[in-house]
Amino acid sequence: MRLREEERVGKRVCFVQTPPSWRRALSAPSLQLPPAFRVTEPCGSKLRGRVPSSRSKPSRPISSSPSGYPSADMDFSIRAANVEDCKDIARMIRELAEYEKVAEHVRVTQRDLEQDGFSKNPFFHGIVAEVPEQHRTKEGHTKIGYALYFYSYSSWTGRAIYMEDLYVMPEFRGTGIGKALMSKVAQLGLAAGCNQLNFTVLDWNKSSLDFYLSQGCFDVTDKMGYHCMRCEGEALEHLAQP
Amino acid sequence: MDFRVRAATKEDCKDISRMIMELAVYEKMPDQVEISHKELERDGFCQNPFFECLVAEVPEEQKSKEGFTVVGYALYFYTYSTWRGRAVYLEDLYVMPAFRGKGIGKGLLCKVAEVGRKKECVRLQLSVLDWNTPSRDFYAAKGAQDLTASEGWHFIRFDGQNLDKLANEAPKD
Repeated sequence: MRLREEERVGKRVCFVQTPPSWRRALSAPSLQLPPAFRVTEPCGSKLRGRVPSSRSKPSRPISSSPSGYPSADMDFSIRAANVEDCKDIARMIRELAEYEKVAEHVRVTQRDLEQDGFSKNPFFHGIVAEVPEQHRTKEGHTKIGYALYFYSYSSWTGRAIYMEDLYVMPEFRGTGIGKALMSKVAQLGLAAGCNQLNFTVLDWNKSSLDFYLSQGCFDVTDKMGYHCMRCEGEALEHLAQP
Repeated sequence: MDFRVRAATKEDCKDISRMIMELAVYEKMPDQVEISHKELERDGFCQNPFFECLVAEVPEEQKSKEGFTVVGYALYFYTYSTWRGRAVYLEDLYVMPAFRGKGIGKGLLCKVAEVGRKKECVRLQLSVLDWNTPSRDFYAAKGAQDLTASEGWHFIRFDGQNLDKLANEAPKD
């Protein structure tokens, strides 16, 4: 599942817990944080159904189980992103932008991600979804999805988590990976003492909106009337004049 | 009016908490405030703080009728855009009613922008209530774009039991 960020494109949303953010939450008293993790599909069981191989296109779409959870014959794992993943994350960010024909909007590079996500005070954290070698894409990729998030704060309710990106490569969709990524982020946010998970979505992106609403979220803009505002470029330069 | 904008200290949290409530009353949602100065002290002044805060202070001789010299605040944190990079999010900007119209709000906002620029942030983002015309006009005058009106962006949230349920559905470790 994804949403874009720029004009007339969807906003990506995701979140997940990584060791630096665990250390951050640990700096507050009385919070227990989860150990490093590596997860497999729930109950460790294989998903039913057929998965496209890395060497051929699927002859039929992957079906979903009635629960909406994975039903493809594939293992996947989700783990905290590390600095070596930035190449794949940058690739997937570009894939998304190219698919949406707005590649020129992407200014962030692999190096930016390395510096901004894996320094002493990271601006974001990430998780990646991986499949085993036998399910790699035809280009040879096993990292096929990611979620990117950061901690935020509500002056009314305290710690919160913001999901900036959620992406799964097209051929791996419909297998519950997106949902698994999102749920993992929610779990990690709770472990860090957050009581809100926030993100944005475009009002015309009905399928994404319907999906999120079906998962139990609510539309803060509709319900409470908050508008998203942004200052950038020359306006921001002007504002920042001492 | 003389005023100065400075970084908040842990000792300012009681004043900040007071003003958070005043802002919530202004936004007609006082029942939404759940945290106190204790959470602000814990979360804003730990090793990896969840937010930063600036306060606006006036001299003693200009204190409010209740005796307060800390008369405004701006609470913000850093965010990230995978397309544009580092950004800063202004969670709260507030000036006590008796001290408005004197440039304090602008002083706070500009200081946040300046702090963000030092960290190489390329965006400053915030949210404002649709009926809050004075604030919307204030931000529009500073060059902010309303992305909800112009592009249809909506804030979405999971909290309470819905957040718990989502988290419970995460793959097992």
